[in-house]
Amino acid sequence: MNSSKTAIQNGELLSALVDGELLPKEFSALHGICNQDSAVQVTWNTYHVIGEALRSPGSTAQPADFAFLMRLQQELVKAPLPGTVTEASFVRSIRAPVSDAGHRRGSAANDSHFRWKLVAGFASATAFLAIAWSVNGLMLPAAGSQLAQLGAVAGGGTTQQVVIASPQGLMVRDARLEELLSAHKQLGATSALPVPSGFLRHATFEIPENFDR
Amino acid sequence: MNLKPFSFLALSMPALLAMNYVAAQVPSPAAIASASAVAESKNINEWLMRMHESSKNRAYIGTYVVSSGSVISSAKIWHVCEGNQQMERVETLTGAPRAIFRHNDRVVTFMPDHKLVRNEKRESWGMFPELVQSADSRIADFYKIRPDGVDRVAGLDADVVLLVPKDNMRFGYRVWTAQKKGLVVKLQTLDIDGKMLEQAAFSELQLDAPVKMDKLLHMMGKVDGYRVEQPVLIKTTAGAEGWFLKTPVAGFKPMSCYKRPTVATASGGSEDPLQWIFSDGLASVSLFVEPFDRQRHDKESSMSIGATQTMTRQLGAYWVTVVGEVPMSTLRVFANGIEHKK
Repeated sequence: MNSSKTAIQNGELLSALVDGELLPKEFSALHGICNQDSAVQVTWNTYHVIGEALRSPGSTAQPADFAFLMRLQQELVKAPLPGTVTEASFVRSIRAPVSDAGHRRGSAANDSHFRWKLVAGFASATAFLAIAWSVNGLMLPAAGSQLAQLGAVAGGGTTQQVVIASPQGLMVRDARLEELLSAHKQLGATSALPVPSGFLRHATFEIPENFDR
Repeated sequence: MNLKPFSFLALSMPALLAMNYVAAQVPSPAAIASASAVAESKNINEWLMRMHESSKNRAYIGTYVVSSGSVISSAKIWHVCEGNQQMERVETLTGAPRAIFRHNDRVVTFMPDHKLVRNEKRESWGMFPELVQSADSRIADFYKIRPDGVDRVAGLDADVVLLVPKDNMRFGYRVWTAQKKGLVVKLQTLDIDGKMLEQAAFSELQLDAPVKMDKLLHMMGKVDGYRVEQPVLIKTTAGAEGWFLKTPVAGFKPMSCYKRPTVATASGGSEDPLQWIFSDGLASVSLFVEPFDRQRHDKESSMSIGATQTMTRQLGAYWVTVVGEVPMSTLRVFANGIEHKK
């Protein structure tokens, strides 16, 4: 009886976490439970599969390989971490199911500041990850945490990325490539199909050339 | 009793409408009319010209929806044609607010969120008849036309045709044209396996709508409170810039080549690339070449966004970016084929 009651409570806490409504105090409690109770982690994973199925009717949501995630989490715990971020491993473990555990990321110096944004903006983060899969090769390994800082533009002299608002959520692309895509849509649309395809495609997908101003 | 023809009929009704016509069967008069319209245009260029002509002298207001990858965008469009004058107004309904006016080859884009207006000339918009006429056999050399039944789009009965590529260098298209007015009401881009990559369609369409050109022209000129930017493009040729393609890419002809004056950009680009544009009549490819910059060009990559593919490659002291509505393998042929004169 008691255990089923606890399970329901844990489920509610997890649900609140998914919705970004969990209080900091509750988060600590849930963190503790998570480390001890694998059932909670399975529930967490299930919530994400459900969320994924609801968000993308076209795609087939696959539950993550739980044993694999557990191994990954253990490896991450063992891995040396910069700074003293106590919940870093947990943050990683909760991110793992959505990211399909396939995306290796370095931990950003601002991890401790960004984890609450991550929780609050979880829906956006999942959208990012979906994009990250398709933006194959354009994503730097460390870009993941910059993604979660909504609107941040990576500096540092390497490939700059822009965050673009789209009906799907925010998207991250290489700024230069974005300019070239725009130039292609503007000048390269030479088709005999009289559909305003090029013109309209340009209009509907366009981002301003001078988005930095 | 042999039921086979009937089960076949049930399974392939649309295809049969066309076949019935060819076999001089006696289906309903409407079916004959629509099937004949498609079957008569054996020549793809003839079909394209007819479609172009019939959609030219129209005035309409419609909502256009473009679905590319997992992104859906839509825009409202006003179109009017008076004599040789073509005018369009497009207001985006998704993403950043944009109002785009096109009067023949002049395109004015309003970006209210940036208080910016971009005023530019786009040669490509007026290119249609030349594309079909001059390249008379070219489109037909690389695409087959095939009737694909009838359908209803935005409340209008439409003929559907497939433009099937004859090789795997380009994508296919499924085109819906309104039976009465010949206007293209829906278009799908299909990959080489026939899987849909991108589609655009009118969700609602009011034909012969009261659209006034002078009113649109007036709106196009109202730039008070906006900063007007007139991007300068320098027309050049790839040869003059020292670039050539080792071997031509089947069906793709160079259309134009541009340079832009140096502008500091968001990505820190100091030099705008050369844009060399190719088209096979339906699909287009842009080859961009710029000096290689170790800071920015850290990784060769490729990406797909609906029907649009991109690929980057380092070529000695240069960085090549290829963008086009063609298969990735075709982009690779372009990327590997470009060379700088020694």
